[in-house]
Amino acid sequence: MAQTLEIESRGGKAGTPLLEVQNLVMHYGTKEGDVSAVEDVTFTLNNGEAIGLVGESGCGKTSIALTLLRLLPDNSVVKSGDVRLDGESLIGLDEEQMRRRRWRDISMVFQGAMNSWNPVYRIGDQIREALRLHWPETLTYQEETERIAALFELVGLNPATMERYPHEFSGGMRQRAVIAMALSCNPKVIIADEPTTALDVIVQDQILRELKKIQKELGMSIIYISHDIAVIAEVTERMGVMYAGKLVELGSTIEVFHRPKHPYSYLLLKSTPSITGPRRKLAPLEGEPPNLIEPPSGCRFHPRCPFATQQCIDEDPPLTTVGEGHSVACWHWQEVPEIGGLQK
Amino acid sequence: MTEPMTDIAAKTTPLVKVENLRKLYPVSKNIFREAHDFVHAVDDINFEIAPGESLGLVGESGCGKSTTGRMLTKLTDATSGQILLDDKGELIDIAHIQRSDMRRFRRRVQMIFQDPFESLNPRRTVYDTVAESLTVQRIGRVQEREERVAELLHRVGLTPPESFLFRYPHELSGGQRQRVAIARALVIDPTFVVADEPTSMLDVSIRISIMDLMLKLADEFNVSYLYITHDLAVARYMCDRIAVMYLGKIVEIAPTEELLANPRHPYTRALLSAVPVPDPAYKRERVDIKGGISKALNPPPVCRFIERCPRATDQCRTSDHPGFDDLGNGHLVACYNL
Amino acid sequence: MADTLTPPTGELENFDPQRVVEEPLWRVRLRLGWRSFRRNWALFNDNKMGVVGLAIIALFGLMALAHPILMATIWSNHLEGGKNVYDIRAGADSIIVTKTIVEEVTDPLTEISQIEAMFLGTGVNIPEIGDTIESPLANPAPPVFSGVKHPHILGTDPFGGDVFSQLLFGARAAFLLGAIAAISSVALATLVGTISAYFGGVIDTLLMRLADLVILIPLLPLLIVVSGFWNVELTMLGILIGILSGLGGTAIILKSQALSVKVKPFIDAARIAGGGHWRIITRHIIPNVLPLSFLYMMFAVTGAIFTEAALSFLGLLNIQQSWGIMINIAHTQGYTLEGFDVWWLMFPAGLAITLFSAGFFLVGRAMDEVVNPRLRKR
Repeated sequence: MAQTLEIESRGGKAGTPLLEVQNLVMHYGTKEGDVSAVEDVTFTLNNGEAIGLVGESGCGKTSIALTLLRLLPDNSVVKSGDVRLDGESLIGLDEEQMRRRRWRDISMVFQGAMNSWNPVYRIGDQIREALRLHWPETLTYQEETERIAALFELVGLNPATMERYPHEFSGGMRQRAVIAMALSCNPKVIIADEPTTALDVIVQDQILRELKKIQKELGMSIIYISHDIAVIAEVTERMGVMYAGKLVELGSTIEVFHRPKHPYSYLLLKSTPSITGPRRKLAPLEGEPPNLIEPPSGCRFHPRCPFATQQCIDEDPPLTTVGEGHSVACWHWQEVPEIGGLQK
Repeated sequence: MTEPMTDIAAKTTPLVKVENLRKLYPVSKNIFREAHDFVHAVDDINFEIAPGESLGLVGESGCGKSTTGRMLTKLTDATSGQILLDDKGELIDIAHIQRSDMRRFRRRVQMIFQDPFESLNPRRTVYDTVAESLTVQRIGRVQEREERVAELLHRVGLTPPESFLFRYPHELSGGQRQRVAIARALVIDPTFVVADEPTSMLDVSIRISIMDLMLKLADEFNVSYLYITHDLAVARYMCDRIAVMYLGKIVEIAPTEELLANPRHPYTRALLSAVPVPDPAYKRERVDIKGGISKALNPPPVCRFIERCPRATDQCRTSDHPGFDDLGNGHLVACYNL
Repeated sequence: MADTLTPPTGELENFDPQRVVEEPLWRVRLRLGWRSFRRNWALFNDNKMGVVGLAIIALFGLMALAHPILMATIWSNHLEGGKNVYDIRAGADSIIVTKTIVEEVTDPLTEISQIEAMFLGTGVNIPEIGDTIESPLANPAPPVFSGVKHPHILGTDPFGGDVFSQLLFGARAAFLLGAIAAISSVALATLVGTISAYFGGVIDTLLMRLADLVILIPLLPLLIVVSGFWNVELTMLGILIGILSGLGGTAIILKSQALSVKVKPFIDAARIAGGGHWRIITRHIIPNVLPLSFLYMMFAVTGAIFTEAALSFLGLLNIQQSWGIMINIAHTQGYTLEGFDVWWLMFPAGLAITLFSAGFFLVGRAMDEVVNPRLRKR
């Protein structure tokens, strides 16, 4: 298999399913009991697509990312369900097989990654290390350098700076270099977990633009994970809303933002302040996220939900299709009002 | 430089008036050598806050907004300048306060911190934390303090108060801790509260209830906030006016909606254009500025934004850092090329 | 639209502050203290290592308590030459001591053999070389449990003193020394560390250079020199060890802890509440350093016991009796190389020192897990 040195996505034809998460259930064992961190989550990432997972801390979005990469802590158990990349189950792979896929097929840009550079090695050499470990063929030093230079240019860094040490980079530059590293082996999927959370707003904007540009140009498939729905709105085409370990709504980003069908999505949107649009009263979400050791019965959102009825306490709503590519797990989705964007 | 009165401030005498406030941090100082290099964390800033008004101080990390807050609460000493606090008609200069006035000052000015997990002593109960200023200042008997703390807990929404009074911070959620921090700030009936990013560590769903609580209590207790944040959307929700800081300088102050609708300083424009909008249908205007934020280490006297400014002219390069231009409606901008 | 979704929040009208202050504050605090003790105990109890350590310490505690009780009861009538046989210092029992005569030593003046002199007029046949006699000279005797006038369950030392009695008394000495050394060391270290961290600047520089100095001076040689000049007793030794170890490494470790507490926003909050330096140090910094202090207290005990043993072994201390002195006597009387033949001279004391130190060390390690949640197993 001859490898080109082009920077590209090794995914398949755009629009075909690439990564399928099916009925994934993942628990953490603790002394107090089992934490049901991911409960029956199903979604698909298509080739060339950017999707988002949004939710509050502890809702299970990062646990999903860790499950996809199989980087879970020792006390976690994948109870059931499957993760398939190009039709191949990742859950059944042994550690060595997974290690070979990890960076090569699925790479990641995680929160605070910019602080994970080893301070005593040059940035370029650290990317070179990743290439040596994960690139399927042995490259010459010259080829490696050329590839790193190309990666640097792609993420908006001056290739000459690859000779620098991490402390000589600003936070934004380091995060760009993290993206370059994530792209180094032409992955099929990039998981970006809070990629801009620690950054200032102007730098965040630059990084998000860069990621969006790369995703479009290379046809890269990216899963964005964020607590900030504004970030998700910027960069994704489809999104899932998570609450207490469950995927409660899944749909095209514009559909979820303008016509949310789950009360949680609705309240989340209603409680997000914005600098554009008319100044409006924001609706607080009362209460606190539930304890996942003993999650609420029925729908996990019912204790905080203004639409909750007896049915919500007794029965867990399944994810049902309510429109094209739009599904929601709520008994009362028809009652949730339309938002219709900020301008209204 | 005469300080033009803003609309709100013009009605009454300001509660807080900051004049030419500076904070320089020496670099590599030791006992045997005077420092030659200084980081100009806060450099010659002026603003006013009217009674009951809340002013947002917005900027990127390292712009000096937190240092300003710390100087106003006397956690950090100012290098020069004045901070005048109106205490029942009498002006106290916080920057040069006498020891004897300290106690009175501590009753007037309080602070709410960013990280609810770090701002409460893990070894003290909610009661101890909230009652601390009452205890230190010997206000009331023990029972009165307890009642006062319970009342405050009730008013910040920790109900029933008796179930929270003797809990430790680790038994509370992030939102509850921040409510305790708010109760602590208000227990002594201050007139002015510095809030340093009080909601940035909280989850979205909790954030609004804390912001609403702070707005409600501002009315009930008649306090003014200096609301420090990096998030313009939050500042818009919380503040009557917004001041934008860049590398130790305030570059623009205006009433909130005026600033958002009509930003005049190139930095404010860049900042506003970079804020992501929670609506995928909304297309933002793109304002590009060059480079990244640097450190204000021995800055030349010219405009701080000059290296990144798309509009910089020869005047900017040769003149001192611009002073405020009053554009009316309390809109002040520090830029030569409007 | 959004507003209708907001459930009403609690109203102030039906709030009665009187209700909350029914229980007096001190009782609430007592209850809270008890609760947090129980919680920490549960965490400690999870770790069997710590429980073992605690059991060992308890055993030594019982030993220390047993000595005065035994002296007053079972051992009270065992007199020999007007002195109690079990007395840790003056007591000596020669009755069961036997000796094999190896050579005849003649007094140069009287030209009478010492053995002859010993038995003249007693009516007993004067023994020859190779005979075994009961010697009036005290010598180490192996354990005897019954059938004799004074049972010595761990034998006697080279002077005829009861080893078991000394061992029990040694536990008392160890506790006393450990407590004095640990408390003074940690109290000093906490204070120095906290003050140094809180004030910084010149005070910090001075205290930390002092700490460096103390670390540079090796403790044992210094104590050897000190005990050469002064009459070092147990209490004084405890305080000396306390000062020297309290100013050194422990102070630096506790300072770094205090530094990490000092920069926490709750310290700023306390300053804004109007708290002075002293209040901030005692109410906010020290309580957060204290768990670590307790931990080092446990380790300080271990250090003090070892130091005492070493100094006693060298015979530099003016101490009534201790485990170290027991070994010292065995050593100075020339029994060091006889090993297992006279096992009761060194083995019990050596084992006691080791176990006692191990007990405190194990408790310290278990406390470490209570204090540092990061070390806890899930």
